[in-house]
Amino acid sequence: NTIACDGDGGSVRRASCFFPRFPTGMSLIPRAAPAASMAFAGRDPAVISLLKMLPLLLLLTFSSAAAPPAAASPSAVHNNNWAVLVCTSRFWFNYRHMANTLSLYRTVKRLGIPDERIILMLADDMACNPRNNYPAQVFNNENHQLNLYGDNVEVDYRGYEVTVENFLRVLTGRHESAVPRSKRLLSDEGSHILLYMTGHGGDEFLKFQDNEELQSHDLADAVKQMKEKHRFKELLIMVDTCQAATLFSQLQSPGVLAIGSSMKGENSYSHHLDSDIGVSVVDRFTFHTLAFFEKLNMYSNASLNSLFNSYDPSMLLSTAYYRMDLYKRALNEVMERYIYF
Amino acid sequence: ARALMMPPSTARRLCFLSLLLLLLLLAAAASATADAAAAEEFTEELLLRPLPDRKALAHFHFRSSAPPASAAGRHHHLFPKAISQLVQKFHISELELSFTQGRWNYEQWGGYDPMSTNNAKPPGVELWAIFDLPLAEIDATWKNLTHTLSGLFCASINFLESSTAFSAPRWGFKLNEGNLRYGALPREAVCTENLTPWLKLLPCRDKAGIASLLYRPSVYKGYYHSQKLKLKSSQSLGIILDQTLTVVLQPNTVSGKQLHSTGGQLQPSWSMEHLFSKKLSGKCLVSKSSRVFVEIEKGIVDNVDKAGSDVSSNNDLFVLSTAPDRSLKELDNLEVQSSSLYEYDVNNYNSDKPLNVGITWKLPLIWSCTRAPYHASRFLMGSGNERGSIAMSFLSTGLDKQLVDSSNDCSIKAVVFQVVPWYVKVYYHSLEVFIDGNSKAISEVVDKIHVTPSEDKLLPGTMEMLLKFPCSMQLATLTLDFDKGFLHIDEYPPDANQGFDIPSALVSFPEFNSSRSYPEADPLFVSPLLENFKEDGVVKSYTEVLLVPLTTPDFSMPYNVITFTCTVLALYFGSLLNALRRRIGEEERGLKKLLLGNCNLHCFSLNLKC
Repeated sequence: NTIACDGDGGSVRRASCFFPRFPTGMSLIPRAAPAASMAFAGRDPAVISLLKMLPLLLLLTFSSAAAPPAAASPSAVHNNNWAVLVCTSRFWFNYRHMANTLSLYRTVKRLGIPDERIILMLADDMACNPRNNYPAQVFNNENHQLNLYGDNVEVDYRGYEVTVENFLRVLTGRHESAVPRSKRLLSDEGSHILLYMTGHGGDEFLKFQDNEELQSHDLADAVKQMKEKHRFKELLIMVDTCQAATLFSQLQSPGVLAIGSSMKGENSYSHHLDSDIGVSVVDRFTFHTLAFFEKLNMYSNASLNSLFNSYDPSMLLSTAYYRMDLYKRALNEVMERYIYF
Repeated sequence: ARALMMPPSTARRLCFLSLLLLLLLLAAAASATADAAAAEEFTEELLLRPLPDRKALAHFHFRSSAPPASAAGRHHHLFPKAISQLVQKFHISELELSFTQGRWNYEQWGGYDPMSTNNAKPPGVELWAIFDLPLAEIDATWKNLTHTLSGLFCASINFLESSTAFSAPRWGFKLNEGNLRYGALPREAVCTENLTPWLKLLPCRDKAGIASLLYRPSVYKGYYHSQKLKLKSSQSLGIILDQTLTVVLQPNTVSGKQLHSTGGQLQPSWSMEHLFSKKLSGKCLVSKSSRVFVEIEKGIVDNVDKAGSDVSSNNDLFVLSTAPDRSLKELDNLEVQSSSLYEYDVNNYNSDKPLNVGITWKLPLIWSCTRAPYHASRFLMGSGNERGSIAMSFLSTGLDKQLVDSSNDCSIKAVVFQVVPWYVKVYYHSLEVFIDGNSKAISEVVDKIHVTPSEDKLLPGTMEMLLKFPCSMQLATLTLDFDKGFLHIDEYPPDANQGFDIPSALVSFPEFNSSRSYPEADPLFVSPLLENFKEDGVVKSYTEVLLVPLTTPDFSMPYNVITFTCTVLALYFGSLLNALRRRIGEEERGLKKLLLGNCNLHCFSLNLKC
């Protein structure tokens, strides 16, 4: 029953982290045994001394809770959802990465997150690319049933703007003053954020536009800063690249759930080639994730556990990896709270 | 006491009067706000025109106007609030922002009419703005404006913030007192995400009215599409916002491939449904007027006249699918009939009886659109990664100047405005002019020139020139030499091997006016589209964007250098340590000792003598 001190500057500052043990050898936080024997208060000298210290204890916990105004209460209520969707690849042969990101964009919009709460970063323009036989249309399936680009897409960061610097600025909220609101992640301590990244990656890195890399410790530092600034209540990171699981190896902040499409040493593969467009149109991991989400609507009660169980390594040709140790709730209790509320 | 006490009837009358006064005040206030709100107007128009090379032009025009802020306050019911906030925050008096993909084909689609003058824009993004501020504050305001516009229109307009990306022309672009800033991004992609916020500025968006025709795959499949936002703001007139979308499409019809009995090929017959896969089922209910125009160019009208027929909507050459509500004929200077417009009022149509304007050709017809006096184009010369030349050519199109006769002093003026990025270091002293193949002195041709030379990593090079060409000239060429600069490794874009762009140059002909006037039958209402046509505008054309390949470093060099260096260091230190620490004799002695030791043990165990 020991109380852990959140080394990450977690949302609760516990009294025991700040105050040393009393000379009597008794800590300020009562342990289970004396509390249980409160009924025999009259007779137990330890309990008597505890009772004397109780008002002091109460005073201290309240003051510690009140003192830092920025400290969120441990029960910050979930009241908004955000999505940050990043496609880091440019050039026509990486069409599938754009289609991955746009598929998630469409899903997230369909299930209730409005454009104002979505930051979409696309490193290249596929829909109006001169090589696209179907202008203003992006497909993730060779049956061309679904036009992912639609009529109302809003892209926040385009082309050369998708850089590691801008990505980290979006996550941490440290922008120049002139940057408009639509390009900022304006989340708060009640936000659930979905962060989806796709592109080419490797052992502990993700490649941005064939020019720079985002390393796993960069990502972990940015998430740590987000946690310090109370920019999220829970964060779900989904990455669809080769060796995606290595990107999460440095994460330490609580409230983070990470899903990667493959383990260290494994590649993530594309799903199928569209002979009409001429390139692969979707990746396997995203294809199966979408297959799961297409069966849902805003009122469904599916849980993240069922999402995980739907991944079949033989279909993905890689092992989907999820990191749950930083996440406090049991997964079968988590409804798809990221998508609606 | 008696004086103080008022008789009850007077008191009642007073009460009634004060109530009446209060009511009047309220009514006045209500009517004032109603007036102010009613003064906000929105009109939508669509112009369709067949083009000589078997394509069709569709030009959407939306105008929103708001009265001056002092009258209406900050409440808008039709005018987009985002724009009025933009104007107030950045003190803009005029602004134009265009997103274009494709190149306007001046040879086939015309260069003399108001459509090509106002709506033929350079590829990518072009932004210029005139600010109502002291000159020292304009650069900082421009920077903030570019960021705000980038957030508003989902484009990377924020790249225009740095001083290397924009320039301040004085007379080459538009005459101003130093409060104009101009910037262009030639490589900016234009797609649905730019159209979405643009449509959200309209009161009916794309749900009703003319904007509901915008089927995105049709718009982006065109040969040219350009969406433009033009703002004009003044204290007296308020804010006028013009949003236009110009699309050149290829109608995909069967009849277009038929051969006529006379042997020629018929122009394709098309309708709105062929172009946009939709019909127009009603107007935007808050619009003051909603009209569709079909423009029949002078070239076609001349052919119809020649065929002896009367220019109506149904004649020997073509027939319009729906009878127009009105027809307007352009009157030029000589009162000769030029182009004609057929007007449809969308108010008369609804979802039960949708409007589907179309044209069907009866006889094969070839015509041409009036062109600008010179066809201006630009190209690169030279090879290698060290230097090159920019060449600009002016090819006469045979347009007779009105004042021409055989006078020797006849000359045609042309104004050239060009911005070149700093890494293309132009030597302005190397300007050479060739007229009809003969080299001429600069002073003979260049009347006025203003150059802002580029500074490395600080300023682009701006050139504004006023040229005078003799009327009889067929071809003029200007050349400028340049050196290619080096960029820092961080300044290269991710696809550096594609090359770097020099934005389009603007060539305008100040003596030629591209305005057209159509007499309005309805004196109460002036169509904003026709009003724009009537505005005095000089004929102008944009040249091509130039792609300059620059030296790119080997981007794998850092990796290579590290590998080489580490190998060399490893070899050096390894050998050094080896040389210092290794004792050759010691090893052998050590080995012998080991062997002897083993031997002794062995001997002892075997009771042998070693």
